[in-house]
Amino acid sequence: MKRKNLLSSKHTLRFLLFSFILLIGVAFSSLKVAAQSDNPQPESTSNVACLSCHAEATNPVSLPNGEQLFLQINVTDFANSVHDRNEVTCVQCHKDITGFPHPIKTAKSVHEYQLQVDASCVECHEEQANLSKDSLHGILLSQGDQNAPTCSNCHDPHRQPYIEEWGKVEHSQVCGNCHSEIFDEYAASVHGEAMIKDNNQDVPGCIDCHGVHEMPDVGTSEFRNSSVYMCSNCHINPDIMGKYGLSTDVLDTYVADFHGTTVTIFEKTEPGQMTNKAVCYDCHGIHNILSVNDPNKGLAVKENMLVACQACHPDATTNFPSSWLSHYVPNKDKFPIVYYVTEFYKYLIPVVLGGMAIFVSSDIFRRLKLKFVKPKPAETEPETEEVSNHD
Amino acid sequence: MTDQNKKYLRFTIARRLEHILLILSFSTLAVTGLVQKFSLSPISIAIISFLGGIELVRIIHRIAAVTFFLEGVYHFIVMFYLLYVKRKSATMMPGIKDITDALGSFVYNLGFKKEPPKMPRYNYTEKMEYLAMIWGYVLMGLTGIMLWNPILTTKILPGEIVPAAKVAHGLEAILAVLAILLWHFYNVHIKHWNWSMFKGSLTRHEMQEEHGLELEQIESAEPEPEMDLKVYQKRMKFFTPVSIVFAVVMVGAMIFFANYEETAITTVPRVYAEKEVYVPRTPTLFPTQAATPTPDLALANTWDNGINFVFQQKCGLCHGEAGGLSVKQYSDIIQGGKDGMVVIPGKPEDSLVMKFGAPGSEHPGQFTAEELERVRIWIKNGARK
Repeated sequence: MKRKNLLSSKHTLRFLLFSFILLIGVAFSSLKVAAQSDNPQPESTSNVACLSCHAEATNPVSLPNGEQLFLQINVTDFANSVHDRNEVTCVQCHKDITGFPHPIKTAKSVHEYQLQVDASCVECHEEQANLSKDSLHGILLSQGDQNAPTCSNCHDPHRQPYIEEWGKVEHSQVCGNCHSEIFDEYAASVHGEAMIKDNNQDVPGCIDCHGVHEMPDVGTSEFRNSSVYMCSNCHINPDIMGKYGLSTDVLDTYVADFHGTTVTIFEKTEPGQMTNKAVCYDCHGIHNILSVNDPNKGLAVKENMLVACQACHPDATTNFPSSWLSHYVPNKDKFPIVYYVTEFYKYLIPVVLGGMAIFVSSDIFRRLKLKFVKPKPAETEPETEEVSNHD
Repeated sequence: MTDQNKKYLRFTIARRLEHILLILSFSTLAVTGLVQKFSLSPISIAIISFLGGIELVRIIHRIAAVTFFLEGVYHFIVMFYLLYVKRKSATMMPGIKDITDALGSFVYNLGFKKEPPKMPRYNYTEKMEYLAMIWGYVLMGLTGIMLWNPILTTKILPGEIVPAAKVAHGLEAILAVLAILLWHFYNVHIKHWNWSMFKGSLTRHEMQEEHGLELEQIESAEPEPEMDLKVYQKRMKFFTPVSIVFAVVMVGAMIFFANYEETAITTVPRVYAEKEVYVPRTPTLFPTQAATPTPDLALANTWDNGINFVFQQKCGLCHGEAGGLSVKQYSDIIQGGKDGMVVIPGKPEDSLVMKFGAPGSEHPGQFTAEELERVRIWIKNGARK
């Protein structure tokens, strides 16, 4: 219902815009607005007419490249789809269809056919369509990659319910359709396992890290340098981390260390430059992130940590991993040497500087007194006295 | 009167050059180091950007560190020469007198004493600074080398030493910089501008105030006797090899530490190491069906050999199970639909298909003229299965 209201308010706006443009009489603009209208064919063919055949069109059509284009619409799924629930008609998207017989299809492959029909998506979903154009998928599409997804590869327009009605599992499985190896790897990770087994909605699904339509290229330096904040977005949130007993110091302790300092500086001074200093996923993994306590891969096990270190520090030996504080803030029990060195300077610095300050102030005091306090006649100023001695 | 302006030489040109080298390397170290310590401050970010990025800042820091280190090595050799060959007194060594001088100055400053203490060639403020310098030199040198060579360090020492060295290096830096700003700047620049490290000498008046004891010694003492040449040569025989070995060892160590380890790979760690990115699931959203061979239409004009294909292509979309007519099976098409017999074997003129399927009819689906002719011949020949 909420959606409908939104749509109708959009209509109102469009109507106002339309009227305004008519008023100023800009003919080409008015044509453009008319083309954007959601109802291109006022007396359009009803869905019933289409479904009378397509509900039962069990035979797919063979396309020139040998692929099968399926023509059957599952009426139950379609009735549950966001499009049918909003009374979108078939011909609003399938614009070439005006009656029967249908015009000859020119598409040579399913991909090409989808590209043709998906040109309609932008009319109602302009924002998403434009975001997608700049995404990694959009770039691949524009390069003519046959495997790159168009809108309908992810959002089956005849089945897709409201996006909010899907949980993280459904969303992620959409990605898994094409990225099955990564999905399977993810499904075995600490995040994926919680999501799939327990339907946990705290853990990130694919789109929480990769975005939906804007979906940036993960190979860029911008992605790498800012990925730290992507992870810490959840990992410094006490509401989420509290449930699992995880530390929220992870970002601060990372930024305080050599890797994190460097990455943060890069992020601020030269985001377009790639830094090879480790970000979260270099040590923890990406789709295969496991609990740090996992006996085989978990980083809390020193041998596993050494393996992780050696990915970038090939010559590292047994003691090397503990030169990284493992996101701990040093205290008496964890990393006591670091703690006591810090404590030592906590006292040394004020004592040394304080002592110096006392001596300096005493000297300033004497000099100010010389300048502003007139000496008693009996006493002579030390400085002038000295001078007169040597006259 | 003229006495007051008399100059007393304090530092030779070589010592003054040492000081300039120290200023340059120390300030460079301080700037390039503190921006790393306080890397998130906008001032640091601005300086890092100005200097050309953090990687370059680190290289500059290390060049300055090597300069600072070598300056120290040179200084130690000079000290060894002065103390061993020339047998000068160790005027930088702190003693009880410095404590009493410090207290004396303090009490005098507060006005409880009329006379300030008469201080030696190096007074307590200078000794304090010099000792802090040596302490800092050793500590910063050791921790810096550890941070430069963490892999070598952890081969010998526990890993925790590296972060501890980092903490010490950073905090000691803060202490050193603040001490310079407070102690050094006050004593030689703010209190009054002391030119001796640049011009080499102090005036008599400045000598009285800061080195009264030395002044008295200079004025009362006999000029130093010339050193016996044989004694000098004997001492040099010891000094020369020892100082050369020391210099070679120290410079060699520096070269070793600067080049020993390749701490990390220089490339970006590989990200997609294990899994293929594009691996579509099977069955996909659009499962591919087993391809059926395209019938050779000319081969035979029977239902199974091509006529079925024509019907399914042109009529099958609608005339599935419903629509009163199915074109799926031979028996279905013979049975006909709601409106009657679609195909009457041998009688194409009575078969409904010839009316509905003709090009230009009102029925939604139509054959081409060629297909219609094939269907007509098929019906004429008995509409064989």
